[in-house]
Amino acid sequence: MSLNIIVLVKQIIDIDQIRNDPKTGEPLLQNIPLRIENLSKNAIEAAVQLKEKNGGKVVCIIFGTDRSNAAMKEAYAMGADEGYIITGYSGNNPYRTAKVISGKIKALGNNSVIIMGNQSADSYTGILPGLISAMLDVPLLGNAVSIEAAGEVLKIRRVLDESDEIISSGAPCVISVTQEINQPRLPPVLQIMAAGRKPINIEQAESDGTPVPRVISNLAPKSERKREIYEDIDKGVDAASRAIRGEIR
Amino acid sequence: MKFLLFADDAKSLSGLATRFREDGEVQAVTVESEIEQCQNYGIKKLYGLKGKAFADNVSLAISGMDLQSYDLIVISSSPLGREVAGILSGKLNFPCMTEVFEISFSGGKMITKRFFFGGKTIMQEESSSKIITVTPGSFDSSPGDNTAEKETIDLGDSRVSLLEVKPKEKSSTNIENASIIVSVGRGIGKKESIESIMPLVEATHGELAGSRPVCLDYKWLSEERQVGLSGKKVKPKVYIALGISGQIQHIAGMRGAKIVIAVNKDKDAPIFQECDYGIVGDLFQVVPKLVESLRK
Repeated sequence: MSLNIIVLVKQIIDIDQIRNDPKTGEPLLQNIPLRIENLSKNAIEAAVQLKEKNGGKVVCIIFGTDRSNAAMKEAYAMGADEGYIITGYSGNNPYRTAKVISGKIKALGNNSVIIMGNQSADSYTGILPGLISAMLDVPLLGNAVSIEAAGEVLKIRRVLDESDEIISSGAPCVISVTQEINQPRLPPVLQIMAAGRKPINIEQAESDGTPVPRVISNLAPKSERKREIYEDIDKGVDAASRAIRGEIR
Repeated sequence: MKFLLFADDAKSLSGLATRFREDGEVQAVTVESEIEQCQNYGIKKLYGLKGKAFADNVSLAISGMDLQSYDLIVISSSPLGREVAGILSGKLNFPCMTEVFEISFSGGKMITKRFFFGGKTIMQEESSSKIITVTPGSFDSSPGDNTAEKETIDLGDSRVSLLEVKPKEKSSTNIENASIIVSVGRGIGKKESIESIMPLVEATHGELAGSRPVCLDYKWLSEERQVGLSGKKVKPKVYIALGISGQIQHIAGMRGAKIVIAVNKDKDAPIFQECDYGIVGDLFQVVPKLVESLRK
């Protein structure tokens, strides 16, 4: 069976480049570039590998902004066949994100599997796989470290705290992947160039009335550590040893 | 207020029960194997789910309860818990607040705190969410003054089939409960070098832990020993960070430690901003000296 694979790609602000204002503790977000969330790359890679093995096509969806073209081109360069950017993302509202994306997935129709990361690196919400599975009313195979397709059946292996499991369900279904599933490919230059010429479909999301939490503050956590730093190892060992003994007793 | 809690492990559920009984009546749902260990934490009614738990059949069982009668559904953020929270949020049209580690109620308002921007900031929000997920380890547990009334709910069939299970060997590790943790980072260099850290683990009666690269990328330690935003959140009395640079995701996992000791060759390593006692030097020189000093 050839697979119609949908991949949900998330674009985030490059959190590794964020610095906090040392005086106010406020994150300095100006001029920080966007990047594809790492787990989304694992999801794209998993989808492209499935396609290479079983045939079919990979369609990426980004709920983003007018700055999302670069992320889609990267997905194309990795092997995605088609891409939709839905603009109007305002962040931090997984319920609305799931509504917009599942609406698009329904409109596309005829899907075998929807693949996404299990948790994103910026806020770690981790509830999107469940939301999408509920809104599409399809089974969820969560936290995959490998995926196999056989006919109309999708099979994943997952690693839980107490056991390793292989679980399966019929298509269509939602699969969330973990970082361990693969090493996302670095596309060759020719593919990157070809990706630049490939058309991207852009649509506008309708706004809706989902209540959004009111942010009271968003600041760097205050550290009240002593910060006694020793470059003389022996003195440092003395201080550390005293502190440890004080607590062991 | 009236709360419905869900956690698939007894430790998280007893912590949640201890926290939420302060603000009202607590009822809870867990898997059958955990019931006995959760009955004495002030939970009024405790439902045990019987059968293999998947996200869909657990969500169905919970949504079959009279959810309108609860002010808030609180779910422990385990892999199963996050999936269940997402499905309930989608099915019931309740927005969900996630990864909460602190919560308060005043004047009918709920105020929550969670990490944002990968742990660089703490976001404090006021919301009308009906469901929240809570980061495991956020609340300590202490016994309450009643025994829960128990009821079993049979789980229905899942649309997911279980084809194969390989139980892992039950490890005795539980770094979340450790009072001293010796944690190693990339600076340890190779797996074999972990041996040379063991005398310090023994001298402190501590538990061994590691950073994300050590546990997940290089697999020098097992995953259950990973400290960090994506791993375990720990709060020992003493946290000894060896060769850990101190990426913010790691700090978010050990911020609850009472005393932090850091050893690193690089004096500009961010871990020195987040420690009480820092030693700039080679950990293979420092560790034996520390062991010797502790044994005196």
